[in-house]
Amino acid sequence: MKDTVKKWLEEKQVDMFLGYKMVHGHALPYCFQADRLDEVDDLVVSRERYSLEKMATHIAAVYPEMKIGMLARDCNQRALKVLDIWDQLKKDSVTTFNVNCCPSPLKNHGDCSYLEPSPVGPVKVELGIDNNMSVEHAEHLDQKERFAHWMYEFSKCIKCYGCRNICPVCFCKDCSLEHPELIRSGGALPTEVPLFHLVRAAHMAGRCIDCGLCEDACPMDIPLRLLYRKVGSSVSDLFGYRPGIDEGKSPFNLIGDAPTTEPRPI
Amino acid sequence: MEYKLVPSICSYCGCGCGVLFEVMDGQLVGTMPLKSHPVSQGKLCIKGWNLHEHVISEERLQTPLLKTNGALQEASWDASIQTTAERFKKIIAEHGPDSVAVLASAKVTNEENYLIQKFTRAVLGTNNVDHCARL
Amino acid sequence: MTNSIEEIEDAECIFLIGTNTSEAHPLIARRVMRAKEKGAKLIVADPRMIQLARFADVHVRQRLGSDVALLNGMMHIILKNGWQAAEYIANRTEGFEEFEETVMGYTPAKVEAITQVSIRDLEQMAEYYAAGSPSALLYAMGITQHTTGVDNVKSCCNLAMLCGNVGVRSGGVNPLRGQNNVQGACDMGCLPNVYPAYQPVTNEAAREKFSKAWGRELPGNAGLTITKMIPAMLEGTLKGLYVVGENPVLSDPDAHHVRSAFAKLEFLAVQDLYMTETACLADVVLPGVTCVEKSGTFTNTERRCQLLTQAIKPLGNARQDWEIISDLSTAMGYEMKYQNSEEIFEEMKQLTPSYAGMSYERLGLDGLFWPCPNSEHPGTPYLHKDTFTRGLGKFHPIGYKDPAEMPDAEYPYFLTTGRMFAHFHTGTMTRKSAHLHHEQKTGYVQMHTGDAKKLGVKTGEMVRLSTRRGEVEIAVVISDMAQEGTFYVPFHFAEASANVLTNSASDPVAGIPEFKVCAVRLDKIVHGENRK
Repeated sequence: MKDTVKKWLEEKQVDMFLGYKMVHGHALPYCFQADRLDEVDDLVVSRERYSLEKMATHIAAVYPEMKIGMLARDCNQRALKVLDIWDQLKKDSVTTFNVNCCPSPLKNHGDCSYLEPSPVGPVKVELGIDNNMSVEHAEHLDQKERFAHWMYEFSKCIKCYGCRNICPVCFCKDCSLEHPELIRSGGALPTEVPLFHLVRAAHMAGRCIDCGLCEDACPMDIPLRLLYRKVGSSVSDLFGYRPGIDEGKSPFNLIGDAPTTEPRPI
Repeated sequence: MEYKLVPSICSYCGCGCGVLFEVMDGQLVGTMPLKSHPVSQGKLCIKGWNLHEHVISEERLQTPLLKTNGALQEASWDASIQTTAERFKKIIAEHGPDSVAVLASAKVTNEENYLIQKFTRAVLGTNNVDHCARL
Repeated sequence: MTNSIEEIEDAECIFLIGTNTSEAHPLIARRVMRAKEKGAKLIVADPRMIQLARFADVHVRQRLGSDVALLNGMMHIILKNGWQAAEYIANRTEGFEEFEETVMGYTPAKVEAITQVSIRDLEQMAEYYAAGSPSALLYAMGITQHTTGVDNVKSCCNLAMLCGNVGVRSGGVNPLRGQNNVQGACDMGCLPNVYPAYQPVTNEAAREKFSKAWGRELPGNAGLTITKMIPAMLEGTLKGLYVVGENPVLSDPDAHHVRSAFAKLEFLAVQDLYMTETACLADVVLPGVTCVEKSGTFTNTERRCQLLTQAIKPLGNARQDWEIISDLSTAMGYEMKYQNSEEIFEEMKQLTPSYAGMSYERLGLDGLFWPCPNSEHPGTPYLHKDTFTRGLGKFHPIGYKDPAEMPDAEYPYFLTTGRMFAHFHTGTMTRKSAHLHHEQKTGYVQMHTGDAKKLGVKTGEMVRLSTRRGEVEIAVVISDMAQEGTFYVPFHFAEASANVLTNSASDPVAGIPEFKVCAVRLDKIVHGENRK
């Protein structure tokens, strides 16, 4: 990997390479460049996952001609595909070095350790939703009970917007979550239950690439990945479209045909 | 073109969450959670996520101000520091060191707070130093 | 905090009193929620229906300012049932008998009358707390910002010692500090009575040590706390003030009083990021920098000292705060010359035993907990493991006292203040942030439906709140988070400033003002009426 990346940088196949570097025992995202080639010796794959493609969109928004190289797991690849379809980051400007990845219904195999099932407390299982639950399992629960369990999870929300901010395929300039006619701002916590999360779920339909970064960023362990998998499976069943896998824009979309590439804060 | 992610600590509440500052060409463009941080474990609250916004606010003071003819006006660092030093020296000479006081800050670094109390005690000659721990 | 943040997850019982954790310390609320989901019991004592109260096994809404009675009532029940940690009390504490005598006077019936908490709930709280092994107690300004703040804290300590919860992993007495480096500012000796690491200025040996290190004679009398500085300014004995990174004109109680005190100063220097309400009154304003533009260390609420890395250059002509202080010192004839913050850290640690074993290299990205006395020491995640700082832990007999101001015919409601999730302190930073401003643009008074009906006011309506100190016009928000008879105003907003209303009466020992309780009246604003 290191040799390939060095070669890409040296031969100007890419102007920069987004990967990871160890700093005091922590893998941090790092931008490797040709003028500091020896640093590539420190390039690691990292157990931690950051949305490198989101960083790439920030760079491309300012430097549209930049040739960006990046380390990519399968989820990064799916995100890149969506970003290309929606004109946020053109595929010609990105070269990926592919590494193995986590399990997801959108792919057949995976061996990334990061999203292995993590133990969930008994009270969460009783009152809320086990983050490791499958869509099929969740659908077998009695509807009333299911509703109560989701309401429990949503009422933990502290409105950090981390699920949106970290999302590699959230790029709308005006976010519905901040639209005063949809969701009331301010006041006390929790935020509007269940509206906030259902508005976001609706907007993830046809776009979510099941990377799980949202759930990973959630301070309250709300099972967001499961929620968006459900809307993803609905879109797949109804329209036969799987974001990040299938070609073309989602037939189910709430963002219009011409999303802006104007940069907004992450 | 320079792009880097700088690990640091959020400066809002006392939790001390780990953040990464996203810097492009010397400009701060974003804040994101430091995934492996022992306190925050890759999560942040709404304030932490938006930490960069107050830093780059247009309302930031960028030059010293000195009261001249009853109004604050832009001034040089030299003049501002000299005036401050002279005014404190004059008050201390006339009324003694306990006629001056310093409010340190729960927002600046340990190093800076160390210097503030050192300055108060060794230079001004008073123990009149406090901060807003109680507020 | 006696214990670290990650330990909270493994507590068997968590007792939150006077902390709206999910809004003011969200990443600690995460640990509380995780502990709860692992099966811990959660007790919440807060007059308001805060978010975490929804998940509590027992939530009590004690009458504002009645915490000592509430805690004594719990301890009464624990002692009556023999649930106390007898061996721990015998081996590790003193003063138990006298304390027991006081607590036995707080019968459940008496406590119910003071606190409005039912005997049943009181018993439940006592049982859960005593049964948890360990139980962690978390508090914030809801405990400390009272004229009985020290009594409240001592009562929390009494409870924790009574059940053997101090000096154990995942237990402890854990004040959640509101500012990123308030712990550090205290550790560094930015207090009128102590040098770094809490070495008293009145102690001759300590004074000699610092005098020698700094090469100057040092004063031996303790200085003024901020709450004593205001009267000294009014009296004219305090004439010159240097304020670094604070906004006392907005953050201190009884704002009108504070303003007139500042007006009397002969000279005011303010070092800040913005033209704060305090900076507007200054003779000189020195622009410092944010945490993004500097290197150095912060010490968080769990005593973890962490390293900042400078990410960008200072904006415009702004300068490093340590450079400004050094230059001022040099201009006053005491030369300070440091190359960088690390050099200051190295000097500081020589004089600060609890930080002596730290270095920038060792701090890395994980930081170190103090005390860390030498360069091999791993740091101390929880305190008082085998012994207390003073040897034996001391029980204090504490009696209940009313807050300084209680509602009466003229000012019939309680008023309490606090933070909301999207803003921070006086709003100088958060109100500059577009995303945070979107969440809450201005102040409001939160009240219970019952009170709103009685007063004939609606959400969004502007009303006038007045206390013996001043009045503000503010919008109503009706919410059942509020306790009937108690209004709540966040203190982030200068134009609807809670601290125009609050009482500057303060704790006699700690000097902390009673922000959490005062008496207030509400008047409807009649259209076309002139302001008083």
